[in-house]
Amino acid sequence: MKKNKGMIVAFLTPAVVIFLIVFLYPIIRTVMMSLYKIDSVTDAMDLWEFVGLGNFQKLFSTAIFKTAMYNILKIWAIGGVIVMTLSLLFAVILTSGIRGKKFFRAIIYLPNIVSAVALATMWLQYVYSSKFGLLKSFFEALGLKSLAATPWLDTAHKFWALLFAYCFGMVGYHMLIWMSGIERISPELYEAATIDGANIVQKFRYITLPLLKGVFKTNITMWTVSSAAFFVWSQLFSNVTADKSTLVPVQYMYMHTFGAGNAVTDRNAGYGAAIGIILSLCVVLIFTICNKLLKDDDLEL
Amino acid sequence: MKKRVLSVLLCTVMVAAMIVGCGKKSDDGGSSESGGKTLVYWSMWSEEEPQAKVIKAAIAKFEEENDIKVDVQFKGRNGQREGLQPALDAKQTIDIFDEDVNRVNGTWGKYLLDLEDLAADYEATHGVESLMAIARNAYGQTHDGDETLHSIPYQPSIFGMFYNKTLFDKAGVEGAPETWEEFDEACAKLLDAGITPITADDAYMTPYIGIHLAKYLGQDGVKSLVMGEEVNGVSVTWDDPKVLAAAESFADFAKKGYFSKNITTNAYPAGQNQEFAPGEAAIVICGSWLPNEAKESVADDLVWGYFNYPTVPEGTDDNTANNIANQVFAINKDSKMPEEAFKLIEYLVTGDTDKAFVSDAMCIPADKENADNWPVELEGVKAGFDATTKYYDWAAGVENNNDLTPALKENTIKLAGGELDGAQFVKAMKEAAGQ
Repeated sequence: MKKNKGMIVAFLTPAVVIFLIVFLYPIIRTVMMSLYKIDSVTDAMDLWEFVGLGNFQKLFSTAIFKTAMYNILKIWAIGGVIVMTLSLLFAVILTSGIRGKKFFRAIIYLPNIVSAVALATMWLQYVYSSKFGLLKSFFEALGLKSLAATPWLDTAHKFWALLFAYCFGMVGYHMLIWMSGIERISPELYEAATIDGANIVQKFRYITLPLLKGVFKTNITMWTVSSAAFFVWSQLFSNVTADKSTLVPVQYMYMHTFGAGNAVTDRNAGYGAAIGIILSLCVVLIFTICNKLLKDDDLEL
Repeated sequence: MKKRVLSVLLCTVMVAAMIVGCGKKSDDGGSSESGGKTLVYWSMWSEEEPQAKVIKAAIAKFEEENDIKVDVQFKGRNGQREGLQPALDAKQTIDIFDEDVNRVNGTWGKYLLDLEDLAADYEATHGVESLMAIARNAYGQTHDGDETLHSIPYQPSIFGMFYNKTLFDKAGVEGAPETWEEFDEACAKLLDAGITPITADDAYMTPYIGIHLAKYLGQDGVKSLVMGEEVNGVSVTWDDPKVLAAAESFADFAKKGYFSKNITTNAYPAGQNQEFAPGEAAIVICGSWLPNEAKESVADDLVWGYFNYPTVPEGTDDNTANNIANQVFAINKDSKMPEEAFKLIEYLVTGDTDKAFVSDAMCIPADKENADNWPVELEGVKAGFDATTKYYDWAAGVENNNDLTPALKENTIKLAGGELDGAQFVKAMKEAAGQ
């Protein structure tokens, strides 16, 4: 086929230009911003004050930023294990031919289509309420008085309350990704395994799991990206001013970029940009590690 | 051939639509299609709030009475905080905007029009002296003491202690406490009567400790304490004996069981709406917006009372030092219709609109001519409001350090819950401050 260079250029140019404007320019600008002290995100460049790596140095020596990073690490690692395990379990169950698959799939996915504000309000004001909460009533009905009296929203428990509420909402999303992977596996493989005498566990261990490596990588990447951008739930779980126990880096970035709480606080969009860069590097690092550890090209079907 | 013609036609339509869609909005000084003028107002309220409804109704009336259209955009607090400055920097047409007095005059001070001349008549006839002074001071704080008027106050508020007079009567507490000793006695009587004396929400725990510390240290002392630097010649560290005294008096109340057992778990608005309003707790620390927020859950027999945060022993400030704040309207210095913009502002902060704020949103009047027209629920607030002679910033400045506030909030909740005593609180805060 004859190549028409003019046509190639004509079709590629809009995409390239849009990519440069929408992706490359913000990346370069953010990297530049991280080296300056900037009062407002939209300040003209002549108002920027060069601080070199000062923003990064300050971040790594600030205790509350380390707390925020530790909190997000816990959300990523512990929440990741919980969400991946539960979502895989539900995906396997729902793809095993049970009745009412569509109904259960919709129910489990439902939290994803409800506003996070409504969900967080439900958890905070109803489920975890010390006065009439769902958990309190549930444990009282079971006669577990000490559990019923647990102050779910005090400083010692609030992080776990947040994590549980967040995971509850995320299971459905990741379950769908697992399901799409499982449904791509040829039924013939399972039939052959059944003829060979493999039981359900063996089929899961030796067929489903190995063939889900690629999907696992997708799920981990999606989970990492959403963890790095974790913000709304922390913001909703800490009214007006941030809580130390639920503070995450993006919330900390917001505080420094737009101001915190009701007080008029110092703002530094460059500091916020530095946090964004650190988070991006974390995502890239995890993605790279995943790529090294999980090679999905070692299977031949 | 037909296909080619159709393709060309469709492409033309698409390109035309794109050009129309992406075209620059007419920038002819706010003229509307009807030939009249259009003011653009970015509001800090969300559309369903009572204040927004009052503003919408007033604007509709204003448009009827004047040949001026108003494009009001309800952005909400976060929308305003995130979007206003970028929009102003991008030279978007915005004539009027509003927000907290300190944020408007401080953070957005460089975009404000000088209102001295425009507002001279308004100030003489309608301006409440204390509110005008706060508005001027808010600009001066961030502009080398230049107290030129750049904003017009409305919906003033005071932060202090609201109480249930019915429960006070039941416990035999006479009158509102003015000193720490009287406060202590009142709480003891309430506790003896089986009533939870004090509750609070997590959202107000830092203002609570901020005002408490300010009584001991003064506002500059509080700011110095949290910022770790000298403020207006005052320097205070966490080792200061007055800081310990403040923490110990707070911890003493916790030890005596004056705080609600739910104070460590009260996620706003649980404390105010589920404990105070139904009559389970006698006192709640909050702003004068409380009656409006809690109106759906107020007990039938609740009679509203209020007192300023009490005077503490050997403190720097007494109970006449309080956080009185307000929202303010400001005009963009680039507005092409400043007179019209001020006309609208004046319409919104005086006369019937001010009365509507009082009746529909339970606000304190901002018009001197409505000075006696306070909502019934806030009648008890008037004495404390009028007695205030020293004006604190929000939380007396205790939230001014982004890096310290989360730890302060956590440790204050622990202090109120009895998990920390005074010395442990100070130690924890010293560590958090890196001292």
